[in-house]
Amino acid sequence: TLCTMAALGSAKAALQVTEVLETILSRCLGPEGRQVLCTKPTGEVLISRSGGCLLEALHLEHPIARMVVACVSSHLRRTGDGAKTFIILLCHLLRGLHTVIDKEQDSLISKNIQTHRRHWKNCCQWKFISQALLTFQTQILDYIMDHYLSKHFLCRSSLELLLEAYFCGRVGRNNHYFISQLMCNYFFKCMACESGFEEVFDLVDDYFVELNVGVTGLPVSDSRIIAGLVLHRDFSVYCPADGDIRIVIVTETIQPLFSASASEFILNSEAQFQTSQFWIMEKTKAIVKHLQSQNVKLLLSSVKQPDLVTYYAGLNGISVVECLSPEEVSLIQRVMGLSPFILPQASSQYEICNTASVKFCKPLTLRSKRYVHLGLISTCSFVPHCIVLCGPVQGLVEQHEGALHGAFKMLRQLFKDLDLSYMIQTSDQNHTSSPLTYKDSRESNPLPEIVNGLIQRPYQGTVVKNKGNLAKTQTYLKVYSNLVVPSVELETCIPCSTPKVTPTDTYQTNETLRCLAPTKTRTIDDNEPFIESNSANSTAENTGIEISSENLQVTKIAGKGNMLPVREKSLEMCTSQSYCCSTLPAGCVLPVGGNFEILLHYYLLNYTRKCQQSEESVVSMIIANALLGIPQVLYKSKKGKYSFPQIYIRTLHALQTSQPIVSSQKGLESVAGKYQLLTSVLQCLTKILTIDLVINIRRQPREMYDQDSDEEV
Amino acid sequence: MSRLEAKKPSLCKSEPLTSEKVRATLCVLKGILTSSYGPSGRLKQVHNGLGGCVCTTSQSSALLSNLPVTHPILKILTTSTKNHVSCFSDCGLFTAILCCNLIENVQRTGLTPTTVIKLNQHLLRLCTNYLKSESCGCRIPVDFSSPQTLLCLVRSIVTSKPACMLTREETDHISALVLKAFLLTIPENTKDRLILGKSIIVPLKGHRVLDSTVFPGILIEVSEVQLMKILPIKKSNAFKVALFCASLSGDLSDTGEGTMVVSSGVSLENAVLEQLLNLGRQLVSDHVDLVMCQKVLHPSLKQFLSMHQVIAIDRVGVALMEPLSKVTGTQPIGSLGSISPSSYGSVKDLCPAKFGFKHFLHLIPNEATICSLLLCNRNDTAWDELKLTCQTALHVLQLTIKEPCVLLGGGCTETHLAAYIRHKISNRRTSAGKNHQLQVPAGKDVHCLSYKKWSIPAPQPMTSCHQPELLWFFSNGLLFKTILLDFLLLQKITLLCFVCWTCLWFC
Repeated sequence: TLCTMAALGSAKAALQVTEVLETILSRCLGPEGRQVLCTKPTGEVLISRSGGCLLEALHLEHPIARMVVACVSSHLRRTGDGAKTFIILLCHLLRGLHTVIDKEQDSLISKNIQTHRRHWKNCCQWKFISQALLTFQTQILDYIMDHYLSKHFLCRSSLELLLEAYFCGRVGRNNHYFISQLMCNYFFKCMACESGFEEVFDLVDDYFVELNVGVTGLPVSDSRIIAGLVLHRDFSVYCPADGDIRIVIVTETIQPLFSASASEFILNSEAQFQTSQFWIMEKTKAIVKHLQSQNVKLLLSSVKQPDLVTYYAGLNGISVVECLSPEEVSLIQRVMGLSPFILPQASSQYEICNTASVKFCKPLTLRSKRYVHLGLISTCSFVPHCIVLCGPVQGLVEQHEGALHGAFKMLRQLFKDLDLSYMIQTSDQNHTSSPLTYKDSRESNPLPEIVNGLIQRPYQGTVVKNKGNLAKTQTYLKVYSNLVVPSVELETCIPCSTPKVTPTDTYQTNETLRCLAPTKTRTIDDNEPFIESNSANSTAENTGIEISSENLQVTKIAGKGNMLPVREKSLEMCTSQSYCCSTLPAGCVLPVGGNFEILLHYYLLNYTRKCQQSEESVVSMIIANALLGIPQVLYKSKKGKYSFPQIYIRTLHALQTSQPIVSSQKGLESVAGKYQLLTSVLQCLTKILTIDLVINIRRQPREMYDQDSDEEV
Repeated sequence: MSRLEAKKPSLCKSEPLTSEKVRATLCVLKGILTSSYGPSGRLKQVHNGLGGCVCTTSQSSALLSNLPVTHPILKILTTSTKNHVSCFSDCGLFTAILCCNLIENVQRTGLTPTTVIKLNQHLLRLCTNYLKSESCGCRIPVDFSSPQTLLCLVRSIVTSKPACMLTREETDHISALVLKAFLLTIPENTKDRLILGKSIIVPLKGHRVLDSTVFPGILIEVSEVQLMKILPIKKSNAFKVALFCASLSGDLSDTGEGTMVVSSGVSLENAVLEQLLNLGRQLVSDHVDLVMCQKVLHPSLKQFLSMHQVIAIDRVGVALMEPLSKVTGTQPIGSLGSISPSSYGSVKDLCPAKFGFKHFLHLIPNEATICSLLLCNRNDTAWDELKLTCQTALHVLQLTIKEPCVLLGGGCTETHLAAYIRHKISNRRTSAGKNHQLQVPAGKDVHCLSYKKWSIPAPQPMTSCHQPELLWFFSNGLLFKTILLDFLLLQKITLLCFVCWTCLWFC
């Protein structure tokens, strides 16, 4: 019998798999998204809108699907957002790749170049693409983010708007406002001072489970915030106390035992046994007495204490809470700066005792379940508070918990600086050797077709053509005219702060371009011809705008003609690379509703136009078009003025005429999150493309020396 | 432990919840629930085809937990109802029926989900605000100085559970007992916060309902043989009590993680027994009269104690530990060594009691908030139902302390609320005109919708003889004495929130 079954082509399979996932997840995306109900054969029901939750709930068999889910999960663990967008983007990317590859193969066949075809086949076309993807991810993306996108970013981030937008896509429509308000209040209550907010995010994210209590059977609107820490267990012994309440943490039993691990206790007589028991009792009593003398009123233990200890503690007015989880212990340690109490070995060392004060310590009853409520006094910038999350059923409580945790992860990422690094001025060209350029010049034919084809897909009409050409010219004109200039960009942009952008002002815009170049050290001279040719290019196209739309085709060709020599020139000249590092400041946001995607799409399209390499431009093009998939889903149900084509055209028009983009939505989303999402998707795609064979084996993989399986075949 | 699940790929189907199949299943559930609702509701027999006991009930908690629902949506509906019941004990059927009605009516109107959600939220706010406001005509403040209101409340709960099979006289008896049991759990002198005690329900099946009684203190069931040994109990003013949570069986626990090597000839059992007897000697010398242990007492220790006229009761169980320590004022002892005198407690009196064929030891406290409700009913099923009913009533009474407000029962509140909504909407329709906040097709639709949605068929007690009373009530705005009291305000508001949430699933 045949032991192995192989399936060819991971990209095709991956497309099928992700398309299935996309159909499930795309209906949960955005504010209009609906909830999904999953049932298990065991009768359990899962209610969710969260992509990560749904993906993990699905019992996926296909190895590629499992790989994709693993990628999504690891992305979520880091950023807490974007599972649905991940799948949709991946699906569009794979779809785009397929159409491009099919087209290319067709064109090659028609040209009858057998050798090329074989070359494509043999040299692992997918691997080529995956390398191009990697190049894109490491260089182009950062470059575009830094140079073009960054000026649109807003740095005044309102927490309310951010959270509202976040929860819009995560929880039910009737609860999102309430939950986002709850989280906002929670955050502000936990924050001791303005400067310490990062610590709050870190702490809440790390100890989220310990900081919230789920209660089923009450309406969501009963959820509230409680000052202090709620431990998810009851007192073993409770002695009411007030005034100065000191606590200790122990991590082992206070009562000494007969024998420690890996030791032997030899018992020779009954009297010896009785004396040792007596000694144990006295010792325990002494330790508890000592704790009492230190004014300790609460004993927190990570292990179960023997009855004797709880009895003596109760006699001495010490409350006991047992079986704390390691996370709870470490949270208390971190908040209070308290280290566990180490049991004194000899009776003389009693003085060393780590205690800390709490404001109060009392039982808390939530829906007939008892908890321990501690008023911790914080020594860090996190003021401990707990969220009590209520919901009619457990599933809803869990959904809200997941969403809140994700929101904290998202904020934690948002308020970190994002480092961008790339090589300026088309350093890629060094990688491509002359034969490739040769190939490029021939293969540049299908490229414009793709542009038009993909752009025309969402809608028809003449507007499109105008847009395509306008976009081309305005890349250079518009770029530095936007008013919102983030701080990082300021140094490079000061010389060219207010360029007048009109179609006739081509020379002035070239000035700005030149202004930009000098900041990037020694490549000035090398770049000189490049810029010149660019100016030529743009003049050519500017004249094109004034001509009627019928003539556009001509100008386009003219533009291309201009492009080709440029490429050769720059190849010769840009031999030196210069690395550029910049940082996206913490807290950068953009309005929601696919703004990031449309912006990136726009700038990528512009980039491909001046880009000389085929793979690079094809990849950029595919990514640019795939990005549009997200707003398409978001605006699927909208009609008229708010339909996707309308919004797309409006945004592009605003970009071309360098007007501020008017967004219909108030909500904000994290740029860093989007950036990380894109890189994660690209990494996942690269991973998929590098696989060429899926082998299905029926048994555990064996050692190499095992010959049996071979013989069976 | 969850069942093992066969590994198979997931199946995704997008099934609209408005489909005929879903509607039909919902209809069946609604039929079951509505027919069991109210005092003259019909009983349901739930049984397993393979055997086992038959459950005869009309209560939501019993019904829903026994009813196997398959459709995920119904599962959500029943689960959220069950969670509501576990929080507020009563009104499970009402919640579920209102859910079903609301879903049906919403589906019939064919509004878009967004509109329905907005509409529901608006109406919910309208209802809860009205119920919370002082102007609400169905609200009656609970008067703790007279038992009338509370008795009414308990009575309306007991009468709405026909599966208890109570006559009128029995209903009165049980209602009074429940109220008495509740009053016994309220501490006499409270400092800052009120901590309610506990009523322990003691089963006695096969007896007349009128034999049910309530006692302050705890009834501990003992075997006849055991009781004979204890008797006669010497008379005294107070009995000194020791309560152990540690095992007194002479086992050796917690020797540590290492090994323990015992030389030959050394008997640990003897050593431990010696220790136990020492403990016994200490108890005797401390003049303890009653020793109770959560776990097991060593027979020798038991023997020793009974020789010294100390009553020993073991295997009390963890459930009774807290009430016992409250009643006697002891601190559970976890040590076999010296016992601090402060750990002992006392009871006022200790007397044997016999109810039916069962023997009990009755611990009468000096002053405590624990009472025992000895509950009798003719057969097992009826007893189970009665127990649930009493628990419900006790819980509802506890909730009155949280929010001392009750609403009129017998469909009054619902009718009133529906009328209020109708009034509000029609006002709005005339005044607001086109600037309607809610995007609804037409004012008339809203009107019908809201009325249908929030009105629930009045339960059976509102028969023709009640009608005049009701009308009188509405016209005078006063409470008529015999009108049933039904829901707590708190309960009702939560209930409405629940219903609203559950219905969103069908949008």
